[in-house]
Amino acid sequence: MKYNKYLNSEGKLYRKENTVYFMDTKGKKTPIPVEKIYALYCYKEVSFTSSVVILLAKYNIPIHYFGRYGNYVGTFYPKGENYSGKVIVQQSENYLNSDKRHYIAKEFVKGSILNISKNLSRYKLDYDKEKYITALQKVNRITDIMNVEALMRNDYYNNFDNIFKNFKYEKRSRRPPENEINALISFGNSLLYSTVISEIFNTHLNPSVSYLHEPYERRYSLALDIADVFKPIFVDRLIFNLVNKKIINENHFEKDLNSCLLNDEGRAIFLSKYNERLQKTIKHRKLNRNVSYQRLLRLECYKLEKHIMGIEQYEPFVIWW
Amino acid sequence: MYAIIVYDVSVERVNKVKKFLRTYMTWVQNSVFEGELTKSEFETVKIGLKNIIDEDYDSVIIFSSNTSKYINRKILGVDKNELTDIL
Amino acid sequence: MKKTNIDFEKELNKLNVRGIEINYYFICKTKLFLFMNNMGLEKNHENVELGKLLHETSYRSNKDKEVIINKIAIDFIKKNKKEDFIEIHEVKKSDKMELADYYQILYYIYYLKKLGIESKGVINYPNQNKKKEITLNDENIKNLIPVIQEIEKIRNSNLIIPPKKKKYCKKCAYYEFCFS
Repeated sequence: MKYNKYLNSEGKLYRKENTVYFMDTKGKKTPIPVEKIYALYCYKEVSFTSSVVILLAKYNIPIHYFGRYGNYVGTFYPKGENYSGKVIVQQSENYLNSDKRHYIAKEFVKGSILNISKNLSRYKLDYDKEKYITALQKVNRITDIMNVEALMRNDYYNNFDNIFKNFKYEKRSRRPPENEINALISFGNSLLYSTVISEIFNTHLNPSVSYLHEPYERRYSLALDIADVFKPIFVDRLIFNLVNKKIINENHFEKDLNSCLLNDEGRAIFLSKYNERLQKTIKHRKLNRNVSYQRLLRLECYKLEKHIMGIEQYEPFVIWW
Repeated sequence: MYAIIVYDVSVERVNKVKKFLRTYMTWVQNSVFEGELTKSEFETVKIGLKNIIDEDYDSVIIFSSNTSKYINRKILGVDKNELTDIL
Repeated sequence: MKKTNIDFEKELNKLNVRGIEINYYFICKTKLFLFMNNMGLEKNHENVELGKLLHETSYRSNKDKEVIINKIAIDFIKKNKKEDFIEIHEVKKSDKMELADYYQILYYIYYLKKLGIESKGVINYPNQNKKKEITLNDENIKNLIPVIQEIEKIRNSNLIIPPKKKKYCKKCAYYEFCFS
């Protein structure tokens, strides 16, 4: 088992004794066992020396960088040696053939609908999932699929003020988020996006060939596709918990006239709870073995890989608890 | 599995042991490391240590458990190195 | 008859199959198919890592003697002093996949023979304190050749081999891929 490490303070990564050290601005040094790092997430200005780069490359460890709002900035990834020509060709073929592309895009949206509906049913809130699934079956263009996605997600978000106890959601606002709930959603979505990127790197899939989102939307648009299916489970459920149990409260935000974002302490809480969730295990029904939440993302990539290779038809992960 | 490694080795090798263990585990205090290891990592650590130490002179004790769940960890005094994933 | 460089090259080009492919052929065709399409999943898998450790720690005096010839990688070789031939050694974790191991090393012997080198094979199971000797004869060559041909056929086709559950799947590095 390797673990994610989250750098929530300014500092420098350097190499000493064959491993990675982090030194913050106060001079506090923390060694990180290099054999045990899965990925690094940087939320503050973190510089690194070239010898660290070489070391991280040796262990295939990606570094994800985030901006002031917790927005994803980019990933430093040493190499992509897992590529398979055949997979890339098939992945592109599934994009170019519009029937094939629509199938995958619709499955992603279907996954979102079903996971969203599970979330709402926990709070005994109604959600007409059949309406959206039927609508999905009828449409035949990516823009229309995207529209169904937008509608059903709006419908979902509109229920948020019935779920959250201590904060108001009001409406979705981004760049910058205008209130606490929006700050948490944006933060969590970017975090999940980068976690998915780490997983895709460990498969043979090319992260920039996607189906629901256009491949030119972002560098790793396939991660956007896959993250959508898991947002309700990895991010939204976490936020419901953090807010309603008052683990995160108004003291954990920095508020401006028209923007709101997590402060250092709030970010640390979010990251630590998110990380706990990634490591939590469930008994996988098909595999008949315990797998972590994080591993579910890998399995989803595998399922997609099998689909494009014609081994087994893809069906999205739907939470059963 | 979860492992705690304590060592008492000659001065000329003590840094080598420390340096090696740093890549796999967390240093918690003088001559003590701990951390979660897979079976293959655990074997690698054992082999690595064997290569460094002088088996006629040095002593390394390895405590291990299948899971950290059954180990109670309590600190009196100063926590010299917090085990955390958020820095 | 001594072989010339040109003969060598000709033979090498004909033998495009890797030893591990022979092994996988007997274990699982899906695994073989994925491996041949560069969809290998051995990296970071616990059982594969343990296997690697075994290679590194057993027979340590021989560890620098790994021999790679084009498509094949032999764990280590020894010269049999009494008689004048080479011993090819392969180290395996357990004898559960005996047939696969047998054909893998048989292929190595066959490969070397094609290059004009006489050899015998030994499979070492250090965990079980067991050894198995293998020699090439007309009969097992007859069984080996169709295997090589079949592997080539799989490589050159667009055949898809969906996974089927076997009792040893759970230990395989491809298990989560196949049954997710």
